Amino acid sequence: MAQSQAVQQRPKDYGHSAIATGRSPHPTDWMVGWKPLFWSCALIMAANIFLWCWNYTFAFTAGLNSASPEFTRYYRTLFWGELIVLGIFTGIWYGWLIRTGREIAGQACERAEEVRRIAILWSIIGATSLSIYIEASFWPNWDGSWHQTMVRDTALTPTHIPMFYFFFPLSVILAIGAYLYGKFRIPALYARDKGFPWSFFLLISAAVFECMQVAFNEWGHSLWISEEFFAAPFHWPFVTYGWLASGMFAVWGETILRLFEIEKAEEVATTDTRDTRFQPHAAAD
Amino acid sequence: MAAGTSTIAEATERQRRLELKELLQKQYKWIDRKWDLVFWVTAIFVVAGAADITKQLFAGDWDFWTDWKDPQWWPVITAFATIIIPSALQYIQWAAWRFPTGATYTSVCFFLAAWVGRYFQWHVAENYPMNFVWPISTVCAGIILDWTLMKTKSFILTSLIGAHVWAILVWAYNYVPLAPFLQPAHFMDHVLTLSDVQGIVYIRSQTPEYLRLIERGALRSFLGETQYVSLVFGGTVAFVGYWIGQFIGRYLAVWPIRRYLKTL
Repeated sequence: MAQSQAVQQRPKDYGHSAIATGRSPHPTDWMVGWKPLFWSCALIMAANIFLWCWNYTFAFTAGLNSASPEFTRYYRTLFWGELIVLGIFTGIWYGWLIRTGREIAGQACERAEEVRRIAILWSIIGATSLSIYIEASFWPNWDGSWHQTMVRDTALTPTHIPMFYFFFPLSVILAIGAYLYGKFRIPALYARDKGFPWSFFLLISAAVFECMQVAFNEWGHSLWISEEFFAAPFHWPFVTYGWLASGMFAVWGETILRLFEIEKAEEVATTDTRDTRFQPHAAAD
Repeated sequence: MAAGTSTIAEATERQRRLELKELLQKQYKWIDRKWDLVFWVTAIFVVAGAADITKQLFAGDWDFWTDWKDPQWWPVITAFATIIIPSALQYIQWAAWRFPTGATYTSVCFFLAAWVGRYFQWHVAENYPMNFVWPISTVCAGIILDWTLMKTKSFILTSLIGAHVWAILVWAYNYVPLAPFLQPAHFMDHVLTLSDVQGIVYIRSQTPEYLRLIERGALRSFLGETQYVSLVFGGTVAFVGYWIGQFIGRYLAVWPIRRYLKTL
């Protein structure tokens, strides 16, 4: 609410879409507020296609024996490569979010700008949703088909490496990144003084819990059920990820309510301006 | 007196309808259809992922192979595993918009995700034929579950009626593609079903057994009624699954929003 009261009416340039269409720029134009959605989803899909093609090419020729030199060359390298890429990406992104977030903290924010930021938050959430699908549906299918036919001799199997060590942590990174974005840029909803939101608590804990469950899963396979019965009891805790990810709906719901607040504030401001403008005429009449 | 009360009630109702119509046609500056589009499209992925992982980890083996689709366990476990997320989405969409569409939406998302996974990861990557590893569909059951909510407007009645109908429809709808694989075949001096032959021919070296002998125990002596006993029990466990889904929808998705609403 503090954001609504501290608004400025200064027009803002939202980029090239206004030039292209010849009309005033809009914070929710596809290439303004929603642009990160397309870029992030395109990058995630590109990574997924690359990893799928890598596995399709090397799984049977280099991925069957974890003690072989081929496995080290094609799969341990991939494993470390994934972790390094994710580490660098996280450092840069979080660093940028926190550094620029601290710079703008406490500054007044236009209503249109806040709408744009909510669209960007939705874009990050959309990318998280795609990552969740890839890790919870797309790769588990190959993991199932692989483990029901191939011998498991390590926790670093060809299907685990993309799934457990790339997309699982990627979802954690995206969920925490979405929260950091909201915390610094949408303070009306997620400022520190409002406490940690339940919505993000559920979403982040879903992603973190999933990574922890990997350890339990591998431990269970090492001594309990080595062959792959997919509905094995120690697989069951994985489902809590999908359930806790419902927190994503809470993020959507909270931000929609905030959008209505912003619209209401805009309506009030517009009405006040109009009343002030016509007051002299009314008096003259 | 009664006529006067009736006129006031009609006027109030007319006024309420006008207000609702005005609200519906209200023009916003920044809230437009793009938000709807982004929400419904991006939600497909998390819903599909949640539904598919729930099914895979509770009932995956029964869904992966035709020879696991037995009359004893498959109808029970599948009914439980597949109703959870549709129930959660049914609550979310009903609470948010009074849309009786949550179960159908989830079923369609789940169907698409299951087919993408099965085609690329089982057929293309591992060379299993699609007629051995095809996934089930819950779309028909989802439509009826939503229809039950629409007509009863009650989650309790939907759970009591809809969960049993769900169990029956999930089995009946998927029995159509399964039936051809239950035809008898003479194989190595034994009479087996075609799906059993598939299970022998396509080797799964890491599964507990090559040919899963599912029908065992006393239910074999139920004079062919195994299927019906399983379906009724499937409805019972689907009822439990429905309320697990309601818990997810009510307390993990909607409760935080209501909590925020109170602060406004």
